[in-house]
Amino acid sequence: MRPMKRLIALLLPLLAINGILAQEEESQVPYFQSSAFNVPRLGGWEDQSTDTVAQFYYSPANATIRTAMAPEEDILAAVRQDLRDLVGTALGDQIYDGKVNLADGTWRSLIFEPDEVTTISVMARKAGSQTAIISFVERDPALRTVLLTLAQADDSLEDASPEIARAAKIIAGIDMKYLAPVEITALLSGEWIIYEGDGFTAMGMVFGNDSYVALQEGAPGDLTALVEAYNRTLLGFFITPDNSGYLALALAAVFAILGGLILSFYWRWRHLRQELAMIARLQAE
Amino acid sequence: MSTGFPSAVLAIVRKDLRAELRSRDVISVTAMFALLSILVFSFALELDKVAREEAVSGVLWVTLVYASILGFNRSLALESDRGVLDGLLLAPISRSAIFLGKLLGNFAFTLIVLVVILPLMHVLYNKPLLSGWLIVTAVIGIFGFCAIGTLLATMTVQTRAREALLPIALLPVALPLLLTAVRATNGILRDTEWQVWLQILCGIGVIYFVMCWLLYGYVLEE
Amino acid sequence: MPRLLRVLTGVAILGFALTFYLGFFVAGRDIEQGEIQRIFYIHMPAFFGAFTAFGATVLGGVIYLWRKSDIWDKIALAGVEVGLAFALVNLVTGAIWARPIWNTWWTWDPRLTSAAIMALTYAAYLMLRAGIEDPNRKRAFMSVYGILAFVSVLTTLFIIRVVPETIHPVIVGASPQNAQGSFEATSGVITALVPSLLLWLTLMPITLIWHRVRLENRIEAVRRLKLSVLSE
Repeated sequence: MRPMKRLIALLLPLLAINGILAQEEESQVPYFQSSAFNVPRLGGWEDQSTDTVAQFYYSPANATIRTAMAPEEDILAAVRQDLRDLVGTALGDQIYDGKVNLADGTWRSLIFEPDEVTTISVMARKAGSQTAIISFVERDPALRTVLLTLAQADDSLEDASPEIARAAKIIAGIDMKYLAPVEITALLSGEWIIYEGDGFTAMGMVFGNDSYVALQEGAPGDLTALVEAYNRTLLGFFITPDNSGYLALALAAVFAILGGLILSFYWRWRHLRQELAMIARLQAE
Repeated sequence: MSTGFPSAVLAIVRKDLRAELRSRDVISVTAMFALLSILVFSFALELDKVAREEAVSGVLWVTLVYASILGFNRSLALESDRGVLDGLLLAPISRSAIFLGKLLGNFAFTLIVLVVILPLMHVLYNKPLLSGWLIVTAVIGIFGFCAIGTLLATMTVQTRAREALLPIALLPVALPLLLTAVRATNGILRDTEWQVWLQILCGIGVIYFVMCWLLYGYVLEE
Repeated sequence: MPRLLRVLTGVAILGFALTFYLGFFVAGRDIEQGEIQRIFYIHMPAFFGAFTAFGATVLGGVIYLWRKSDIWDKIALAGVEVGLAFALVNLVTGAIWARPIWNTWWTWDPRLTSAAIMALTYAAYLMLRAGIEDPNRKRAFMSVYGILAFVSVLTTLFIIRVVPETIHPVIVGASPQNAQGSFEATSGVITALVPSLLLWLTLMPITLIWHRVRLENRIEAVRRLKLSVLSE
């Protein structure tokens, strides 16, 4: 007993060697967290989120960015179902439909224009039996804003200019071959090239093998703010992996090892008791 | 009568070397083993030229380690059988002198192995193994390894299983030293960063040498 | 059972239940790694528990060589058995964490390698110990080996400073750029990690070592009794 007390006394200074200083690190970006997915909260936007849907509203452009998980496997049906309440009318047919491979899977890139005022840009992908949907809804009568993610036709692109031209052609029928970029601006999401033409603004960025393009027609609005918010949502979106099975496995292992140690103490102890009994029997004979 | 420390150490080394020169028990076995090991590795990796060149430092150190384990076992088993250790303990010399003497003896034997295999590997594996810093690394690594080996072999030779226990006891303890030695050798061969590894190797070598020196007195029989 | 040991055992069990509750029910879910991140509240404390237990082995070894009193050798042996179990907990939980996060059970990263070497060194301690018959020689030899083996523990602890190319996250101090899958960033550090760390660092190894020492005392008493009965 005394050596054990001494051991405790001797071990305490040894523990000082460790000098554990676990610092708590605040995560830099405030996140909307739900059991299904996580997206960054948009600063300066009005937060209209519920428990399961992340929704942010920007009044200057009458724009909404909404992220949701719809319980529906068919992507188009899921998008229609998810946006029914927000938009109020049927979405109609998509005016653009493409596929983009991002790090976390294949996304469907969709554009809808249900009425004169509303333009909807959607990115959606399958997540298990559900569909993850990130949508940008703009309802400013003076503007038409489209945010598009494109898989590059050519992987070797250094800047987004050709892709901006391509998107402008597809979406707005604008030919901007003879335009030169006015500015290159660095946002949190990357370096964007800006073009300004007659009654429209276009922006683009290359990230990996994909191009992110924004087009705005009508009166000049704050396209940069919209682009930044949407792309932060898109790039910051992730689904917390479900690995609770591994956690259960790890816990089982912890209990097995510690239990094994304690059981081995106990078995040896019991074995000694049996031996003592045998010795006592021998002595009695 | 007490013998001076350096002369006691020298006397033990001279005794070991002279006994070895006469019988060639240790050197013949270890050198032969080292040669065979290098040839076996060479054949085993023959088909893949890239793999063979990548594996050079690993082959070098694995060979050195197993050859020296064989040597430690052999030299201490012979001593123990002939009662030399008991005799040394009776003599009026300090135990650290015995440690240094045995260590230098083992070190010398392993260096001979190194001298045999380095040129051979230089030719067979087509790598510049005979460079100065590589030899320095090898010598420092071998010295540290021999310090641990001398201590642990003196222990295991007094156990029941003897030969079998030495690698089991020695390898895990020596692995930090060996890993740094392999890293340094690799760095020198590929001309990547190796200076820092050589420094760490020196540090670990010194730590092990001092620990083994201090502890050696306790593993000799009372 | 001495009263102090009884108290220690009770507090250790309660503490284990409490830290378990804090780590698995109170601390928030890590949004990047998911539930598996919680295993960290056991993974890292287990290593430090092993550190304490192997520290007991070194102290036991040094004091045994100095004072030649058997009890310190028993403490050293107990430290190895307890520390080995903790090191195993550390390795196994690390591997199970790595599977979903690094997408592999095991990789020959410097820190993982040195942790595995550490466990092997102490497994070798037990094998070597079983191979020595003479009790006095056994105690002296194993004290020496227990002291040498601690180098592997220190290597594991400090290798991250020396070999920065590890992908293992550093908890104490700044994390290198290339650490993959950080452990920090959740509020659980204070609520769950610190209590768990304190428990594994002190109470758990000391209590288990004490129980193991009592078992060893009993083993020796029975052996002595057997010898005296046989010699009658």
